[in-house]
Amino acid sequence: MDGGVLDITPWRLALALVFSLVAGGCSLALKLDLGRDILIGTVRSFAQLFLMGWVLGFVFAADSPWLVIGLFFIMAGAAAHTARGRVKEKAVAFAWPMYGSMAAVYLLVTMTVTGAIVAADPWWKPQYFLPIGGMVLGNSMTSVAVALDRLFADLRARAALVEMKLCLGADVSEASADIVRDAVRAGMIPAVNSMMAVGLVSIPGMMTGQILGGSDPSQAIRYQIVVMLMIVGATALGSTILTLIIRRRCFGPGQRPLLR
Amino acid sequence: MSPASSTTPAHHLALRGVDFSYADSSSPPSPSRRILRSAHMSVPRGAFVLLTGPSGAGKSTLLRLFCRLEEPQAGQVLIDGLGVTALPPQLLRRRVSYLQQTPAVIPGSVRENLLLPFTFKSAGGDPRPDDATLSAMLDALSAGDIPLSQEASTLSVGQRQRLCLARALLTKPQALLLDEPVSALDACSSRAVLNAAESFCLDAGGTVLLVSHAEFVPRRVAPQHYRLENGNLAEVPS
Repeated sequence: MDGGVLDITPWRLALALVFSLVAGGCSLALKLDLGRDILIGTVRSFAQLFLMGWVLGFVFAADSPWLVIGLFFIMAGAAAHTARGRVKEKAVAFAWPMYGSMAAVYLLVTMTVTGAIVAADPWWKPQYFLPIGGMVLGNSMTSVAVALDRLFADLRARAALVEMKLCLGADVSEASADIVRDAVRAGMIPAVNSMMAVGLVSIPGMMTGQILGGSDPSQAIRYQIVVMLMIVGATALGSTILTLIIRRRCFGPGQRPLLR
Repeated sequence: MSPASSTTPAHHLALRGVDFSYADSSSPPSPSRRILRSAHMSVPRGAFVLLTGPSGAGKSTLLRLFCRLEEPQAGQVLIDGLGVTALPPQLLRRRVSYLQQTPAVIPGSVRENLLLPFTFKSAGGDPRPDDATLSAMLDALSAGDIPLSQEASTLSVGQRQRLCLARALLTKPQALLLDEPVSALDACSSRAVLNAAESFCLDAGGTVLLVSHAEFVPRRVAPQHYRLENGNLAEVPS
């Protein structure tokens, strides 16, 4: 036991592999063809998390703002890359605006939380900045992918309506206002729904970590409330800004629709 | 509607050496994807011009060039002697009104659909038509029996086509680009649409460019006739 947390010895950690074996057994018995993915996923979980643990240890020890922000941008790049992979549309180039916007928007949100709400001193204190930034990125990544996927799909499905409005004198924002609205809403729904279920269905990750670490549950709750609100705000901001920026790229010169 | 003036160029709509082909992975584009090859066309102000050709020849594409829904690879697309790129797209599309082959309506009433163009910024200070004006416009298209409060999605294709034409005419365009406007309509609806287009030319001095796969418009109504086939656009002699 170290400071309230029970140690997981390497042998006990290896025991957790039983769950991977159970999943692999199900795949084999039901011919799910997921055996390879379960194996790769298990190896990656170990490798990526041990690597992250080592990097975090290094960054915590170095105590440098540049290293913290640099690591945050790497995490943002990975989040944007993952989100981009989930979007099916390939006819519109959106990678760089997506990387740029996600990094800028979520940096701002994380800075606001650590600097103004948690009041960490300094605001980039890695023990606060990186876990909170990671939660912002992890949750927003999904919402951005959902919003963009919906945007592209609707611009194709409702191309005749968009074109009709353009032909009646609408500009791009007027012709696609309802599509943008639906896309942002689709991106935000998971975060809003998770606010409804939090504390009833599950004890969320951050709160669990603090309780396991021996924190007072009343303090852990406060952190979790901040996290829930931060995620809703970040998904709203990220989905809206990215959808608006990338919407422009779906129209060519002369406000000509490119997706139909 | 702006009446024709002696200072404006004789040709309202024109193409000068226009090449157009759809993006193709092969380079140069295969002949089957080439829609227009050095196309020339001159449509005088106030004319009613028929454009025919087989399915897939690119007739709709030609109309879409005039409202910048397509961009040519070479040549000039002119409105009143000026390239279409010289005007802001919203202004261009209010002057040259393109009606899609399949009439598109927004969810909402007939009234909301007719007033849609007046909700856009490009409408500027254009007065919003009252119910009497809307009903009169529908009546002129033999659609006066459609209540303004009716849900537009419940209309038949013929009624929707007339609703879309009425909506375009309410914005007072200078030219109408009609894409197969009667292909899905019964005889009565077809006649109403054609009469409205003819009246737009004769009474309002507007220009009509009508695309059809068949020559159903009499020469008396459309004295000028172009045919598009295999990328070649040619005027058909009377």
